[in-house]
Amino acid sequence: MASVYKSLSKTNGQKEEAPANGVKRNKQRVLILSSRGITYRHRHLLNDLASLLPHSRKDAKLDTKSKLYQLNELAELYNCNNVFFFEARKGKDLYLWMSKAPNGPTVKMHMQNLHTMEELHFTGNCLKGSRPILSFDASFDKEPHLRVLKELFLHIFGVPKGARKAKPFVDHVMGFTLADGKIWIRNYQINETEPSKSTAAVDGEPKPKQKHGRETEISLVEIGPRFVLTPIVIQEGSFGGPIIYENKEFVSPNQVRSEIRTKKAGRYNQRAEQGVERLAKKGELGLRTSGGRTMPVDELDTGKLFA
Amino acid sequence: MVNKGKLKMALAADKSTGYKKLNLKKKEKLARKTKSKKGGDTPDVGKIVEGEWEDVEGSEDEVAEDEEEAVGAAVEESVSDEEEDDEVAGKMEIDFAGIDESDSDSSAGENDQNNSDSEEEDDEDIPVSDLEDLSDGEKEDLIPHQRLTINNTVALNAALKRISLPVSKMTFSEHQTITTSEPVVIDDVSDDLKRELAFYAQSLSAAQQGRKLLKEEGVPFTRPTDYFAEMVKADEHMAKIKAKLIEEAAGKKASAEARKQRDLKKFGKQVQVAKLQERDKERKQTLDKIKDLKRKRQGADTTTTNEADLFDVALEEETSSKPSRKNREGPNKRAKKDEKYGHGGKKRFKKSGDAMSTGDLKGFSSKKMKGGAAKRPGKARRAGGKR
Repeated sequence: MASVYKSLSKTNGQKEEAPANGVKRNKQRVLILSSRGITYRHRHLLNDLASLLPHSRKDAKLDTKSKLYQLNELAELYNCNNVFFFEARKGKDLYLWMSKAPNGPTVKMHMQNLHTMEELHFTGNCLKGSRPILSFDASFDKEPHLRVLKELFLHIFGVPKGARKAKPFVDHVMGFTLADGKIWIRNYQINETEPSKSTAAVDGEPKPKQKHGRETEISLVEIGPRFVLTPIVIQEGSFGGPIIYENKEFVSPNQVRSEIRTKKAGRYNQRAEQGVERLAKKGELGLRTSGGRTMPVDELDTGKLFA
Repeated sequence: MVNKGKLKMALAADKSTGYKKLNLKKKEKLARKTKSKKGGDTPDVGKIVEGEWEDVEGSEDEVAEDEEEAVGAAVEESVSDEEEDDEVAGKMEIDFAGIDESDSDSSAGENDQNNSDSEEEDDEDIPVSDLEDLSDGEKEDLIPHQRLTINNTVALNAALKRISLPVSKMTFSEHQTITTSEPVVIDDVSDDLKRELAFYAQSLSAAQQGRKLLKEEGVPFTRPTDYFAEMVKADEHMAKIKAKLIEEAAGKKASAEARKQRDLKKFGKQVQVAKLQERDKERKQTLDKIKDLKRKRQGADTTTTNEADLFDVALEEETSSKPSRKNREGPNKRAKKDEKYGHGGKKRFKKSGDAMSTGDLKGFSSKKMKGGAAKRPGKARRAGGKR
């Protein structure tokens, strides 16, 4: 194994130096942590993500939820220029903060539909710390706030070349797709198989590939985890500063819950109203003993006939 | 109210009444008021009342008192102000602007922050409290907008510029990002299969493209088969997944088996019934045969012993065909049990003989009394038979 790595790093050696001489190198370090009050699923998800990001530094839970600017100091302490922070509210809602540490910007997102690797039972697997290919939806380039989001994803989820614990092969893809105003994130293993003759015969495309050399066919197997993010706000600074974007369409989970409750309460109100209406109607028809209109006594009433 | 105040102010402005003039008129009016109170002049009363009424309103409005007084005066002066409205319009606008500033505009600060597009959307926004009156059906169609949109494009671009990596200048292996050429379109997000397929297709194309680019740059892509390192999912985890898969497969198999068995059972019942009927029929046939044989035998007594023997054997075989379980505990099982455990009356003297048992000649056979059973053949014959 060591020999393989050596041989690979030798071949890479010259190329690695070249960009270092250039203007800017992709150098990222991510501080990963959560607030207090996260559930086990949130915690497992955080662990999963940390295992996928070899350039990350995991820290203990942050005590405060109001003084998030403390995260900047923490990031400085650990030499991190990105912060990836899980904020749990009410033991059920999870908000994800992503920030470029000293100067911002910061994005706050609501995380939904999260499934950890463990509970998904996918058969895919990848090297711990291999660099992923990040696949972005083209819609990310449409609006400025989405471009900011894309850049942040690139910094945080993209493992920089030459990260300390990174492995030299590429064996997984991370997909970021924009659908329904939300960002859907998936993680797939790249599975390479020798092209079978039958498929090569059927498809037109694989034939030329085979001529070039022993190109293998690529298929994907999902690894997990899965989650969906809804952007809420973007702040100019890192955990502070003016808000430069706010998602109007975001409905907070609290509001959703309260609406459900009021809807449920509405059912009772409706029934009660119906009851009152029925009483009023009966009164109108003179069918009630007290209140409402009294019926004129009929000539042929039994009480009158046999008085 | 405010509008009315504005209008009056505008009127006042139109009349270009300076404050000094106004003050004069005010004094005049006061003097007249006092006069009328003292003297009680009838023709003036209507006008004065009007003026007072105006005063009251003026105090309600948040406009300076003396201005309002002036308006009152103006009203008194000009009976036909309505005709002059057209002329007034030009100057009114200016005054409105002034009033707006002092009075009711609190959103001015927000507008400064917002962009032009947010101002457009301000009008569309409906407060959530207003929505409660709507029915559920209408509610579903509406997306309640309770907050103002902040979308500071300039700041966003600046932030992006500050942090963005020069992706175009870097080699692909440096950043490894691929953006699809066309946006991924998902018709129905709630359709799981289609959605996941779209995600898969996006990632697959990225993987293919990425491999090509990486190979062009000479960066290792495929993991050699002899390269072992720690994986994201540990072996135990993978074992768990494997166990889960196996369990699933086993469950599927078991359920299929169970279904098959169920079907067989349904069908098997029919088979069993058929078999029973067949057996019944067979038994009937044998019994008939036996009866026939018995009759024949009694009719023709002088058959050779050999033949008789043969028949006997056959008979024995026929009759001693294993007593099937069904026959043994047939429908009279209950009766037997009742007899044994006490159903059906007294058991006393049940075993003692009576007229019936005395008359029963079941065990009697004259043939046996005459010559006994078939004689035992002699030794030599027996030995011969063995051979």
